[in-house]
Amino acid sequence: MRVRWLAFSSFVIALALGVSACGSSSSSSSGGGGGKKVTIYSSLPLQGATRPNSVDVNKGEALALKQAGNKGGSCTVTFKKLDDSTAQAGQWDAGATSTNARKAAQDKSAVAYLGEFNSGASAISIPITNDAGLQQISPANTALELTKNPGPAGKGAPGKYYPTGKRTYARTVPADHIQGAALADWMKELGVKKLFITNDKQVYGSGVAKTTSDAAKLRGIQVLGNEGIDPKAPNYRSLAQKIKSSGADAFFFGGIVDNNAVQLYKDVGKALPNGKLFGDDGVAISTFAKPLPKDVAARTYLTVATIDPKDYPPEGQKFFKDFASSYSGKQPEPYAIYGYEAMSLALDAMKRAGGKCNDKAAVSAQVYKTKGKKSVLGTYSIDKDGDTTINDFGRYLVKGGALKFQKSVKVAKDSNGKPLGAVGG
Amino acid sequence: MEAASATAPTVAPSGGEKAAAALRNFLSGYGLIVVLVALPVAFGISDLTQGHSLARLAGNLKDGISNGAIWALIALGYTLVYGIIELINFAHGDVFMLGSFTAAGFYGTLGLTAGTGTAGLAGGLLVVLVLSMLVCGGLNTMIERVAYRPLRGAPKLAPLITAVGFSFILQNVGLLWHGGAQLGVPDLINSQKQLVDVAGVSITHGDVLAIVLTVPLLIALGAFVSRSRLGKAMRATAQDPEAARLMGINVDTTISATFMLGGLLAGAAGLIYALYQTTIWFFQGFTAGLIAFTAAVMGGIGNLQGAVLGGLIIGCVQQIADNRIGGGAWTPAVVFFYLIMIMVFRPQGLLGEQTREAG
Repeated sequence: MRVRWLAFSSFVIALALGVSACGSSSSSSSGGGGGKKVTIYSSLPLQGATRPNSVDVNKGEALALKQAGNKGGSCTVTFKKLDDSTAQAGQWDAGATSTNARKAAQDKSAVAYLGEFNSGASAISIPITNDAGLQQISPANTALELTKNPGPAGKGAPGKYYPTGKRTYARTVPADHIQGAALADWMKELGVKKLFITNDKQVYGSGVAKTTSDAAKLRGIQVLGNEGIDPKAPNYRSLAQKIKSSGADAFFFGGIVDNNAVQLYKDVGKALPNGKLFGDDGVAISTFAKPLPKDVAARTYLTVATIDPKDYPPEGQKFFKDFASSYSGKQPEPYAIYGYEAMSLALDAMKRAGGKCNDKAAVSAQVYKTKGKKSVLGTYSIDKDGDTTINDFGRYLVKGGALKFQKSVKVAKDSNGKPLGAVGG
Repeated sequence: MEAASATAPTVAPSGGEKAAAALRNFLSGYGLIVVLVALPVAFGISDLTQGHSLARLAGNLKDGISNGAIWALIALGYTLVYGIIELINFAHGDVFMLGSFTAAGFYGTLGLTAGTGTAGLAGGLLVVLVLSMLVCGGLNTMIERVAYRPLRGAPKLAPLITAVGFSFILQNVGLLWHGGAQLGVPDLINSQKQLVDVAGVSITHGDVLAIVLTVPLLIALGAFVSRSRLGKAMRATAQDPEAARLMGINVDTTISATFMLGGLLAGAAGLIYALYQTTIWFFQGFTAGLIAFTAAVMGGIGNLQGAVLGGLIIGCVQQIADNRIGGGAWTPAVVFFYLIMIMVFRPQGLLGEQTREAG
C-alpha cells in the first residue's frame, strides 16, 4: 500500500510540473489613424532572468513604431506584446511559445511576428508561423540551425523548421557561426591553449558551443570537452573539479543565464583561479553580471552582437539618445537596438509592399528583398536564408556588477573558416 | 520516527517458499550492498589503475557528504511529517527556499558582509540561524494548521493536493520576493576557500560549515525525539494516533510540533544553502525538495536515520556523476537509477520498516 501511495505521489509531482508549464500573459498598444489596419506581434520572455533584455527589446520595437507614426507604408499598425515565458519555468516555455505563435497565426490582421528571444523557442514557433505564411523576425536568435545547415548535429535543420518549404524567418542579429568565431578570436588573442566547453543542451546553447568549439580548433586551441549540464543542479563543484583536472586554462558555457549560469561560473571560476571564463550573448545581461563575485567577474569575457554606441552610424547613435529620452534616461540592455531594427525591418517591408502592406505574403517576400538597408545597426542586407550580412561583434567585460563594453570587432571568417561577405552586400 | 511493526497471522511455509524467501533475503542484503558500492568501487579501481591515487574519488565523496548534509536536513522534514501523519508535505522544499531568502534578508538587516570580522560574523550568523529556523518553523506550523488539519479525516488525496497547492503558492511568494533571476548573496564564509588539504583532498570552508552546523542539529533532533516528553508523544502518535489520544496525548499539538520541528530544520538548511552556494533563487526549493524527498524514500520514509543516510548517498552519487559521467546532464538519471535499484532490493527503503498503513 505504501509503495503504491508513493508511486501515486510521484505521479502527482509529474502532473504538477506539467500544469506549471502552461500559461502566458499579453498586453497591447495600438496606433491610431485610418486606412488598412494590421497587427504586429512581439513574443519574448517577460519573466525570469532574461526579462530586462526582453523589456528593452519591446521598448526598442515600440520606439521604432512610434517614430514611424504607427505606420508601415499605408497600413496602421497595432503592436501586441506577448509573453513566451512562465513564472514557474522562470524562462521561455514551449507551451507559452506555441500558444503565442498560434494566436498570431490565427489572426488575419497579423503581418509580422517579432520573436522569439531564445532560439529554442523559435524552433517551436517558426513551423507554426511558417504554416500560416506569417513572417517572423527575431531580434535576438543566433542559433545557426534555424537558417543554415549546421552539419550532422542539426538532424534535418533548417528544413525541418519550414514545413511549407518556403522561408518565413529572418533575424537582425548575426548568427552563431559568427559569434563562435568572434569568441575564438578573442581566446586566441588572450593566449588560451586548452578550452573546456559546457552547454545547457538547448538549441541555442548546444549550437553556439559547437560553433565555438569548431572555431577554437581552427585557431589551434585544444578543446578538451563539450558537455551538457543539468540546468537544475544545485551546484557544479564536482564538474568544476573535472574541468580543473582536465588541465583547461579557459572555460566557455554555451547557454542562457536562466539555466543556472551564475552558479556555474561561480563554481568553475573558483576551481580555475587563473582560468579565463568566456560567455556568449545568452549570459551577457545585467542579471548575470550583478551576482558574479569580483574575482570571477574580473576573468569573465562576453560577446554580444551589440557594439559600442560610438561605433554605430549616426542612426544608431540617435537610437541610444532617443531611447534614453523616451525611457527616463535609461541605457538600454544589449538587445534593445536589435528590437528596434526588427520592427524597422517589418515596417520597411510593409512600405515596400506598397498597397499590399496588409498582405502577409507580400510583406514576407519584401523582407528577403532587403538589400543595402541603412539602419541603426549600419548598412545590411537579408540573405536568402533570412540572415543579416552584419558581422560586427562587441566584446564585453564585467566590472562593478555590470557589463562594460571593451571593443568592437569585425569577424573576417566564420566558425568553419569561411570568409564572410562584405557588409551591405 | 519508526512506526509500528505489524504482525500478520502466520502459515507454515513450504520448502520452496522457504528457499524463495532465503533468496529474497540474500538479494535484499548482498544485492543492495552491490548496488551501493558499485559506482565508487568501479571508479576507485579506474583511478588506481590510471592515476595510482584515490584522491579524486575521495574528493567526490567529500563534496557528496557536504552537499548530502543539506539534503539530509531537508529530508528529515519530509520523513518526520510522513512518519506521523503519512502525508508527503510537498510544500516543505519551498519552506526551505524561503528559509534561504529569509537568511539572506537578515544578512542585510544585521549588516553582515564579506568584510565582517570573525566574532561579529559568528554572532551574526547564529542570530540569522535562529531567526531563519523560527520563521520556517512558524511557517510550516501555520501551513499545517491552515491547510492540513482541517483535512485530517478527509481522503488522503485531499491533503496531498493541498500540499502541492501550497508548494506553488510559496514558490510564487519567492518569485515575487526576489524575481525569477538567481540572486547572488554575500559570500560571508568564503565558501570555496581551501581550509586544509588532506591527502590531496581540498576541504573548504563550505564543507566544514555544512558538517559543523548539520551534525549538532541531527544529534539534537535524535535526542529530542527519543528522550523528550514531546518526542515520545510524537513516536506514540506515529504508531497509533487513536491509542495515543486515549492515553491522554494531545495529537493535534503533537502533529503541530512535528511540523515545527521540520520547519526549524528547513530554516537551518536554508541558511546553510545560502552560505554554501552563495546563490539563491525561487526554484531551489523545488529541486532540493525533489532530491530530499528521494533521499527520504531511499532511506525508508518515516525513518530519521534513513533520511540522513539517503541524503548522504544521494549527495555522493550526484557528485560522482557530475564529476565523471558527462557534464552532469546525466546526474538526475543516475540518482534515480540508484533509487530504483534500492527500491527493487528493499522496497521499504534502506532502513525502512512497515508502517501502520502497510500493516
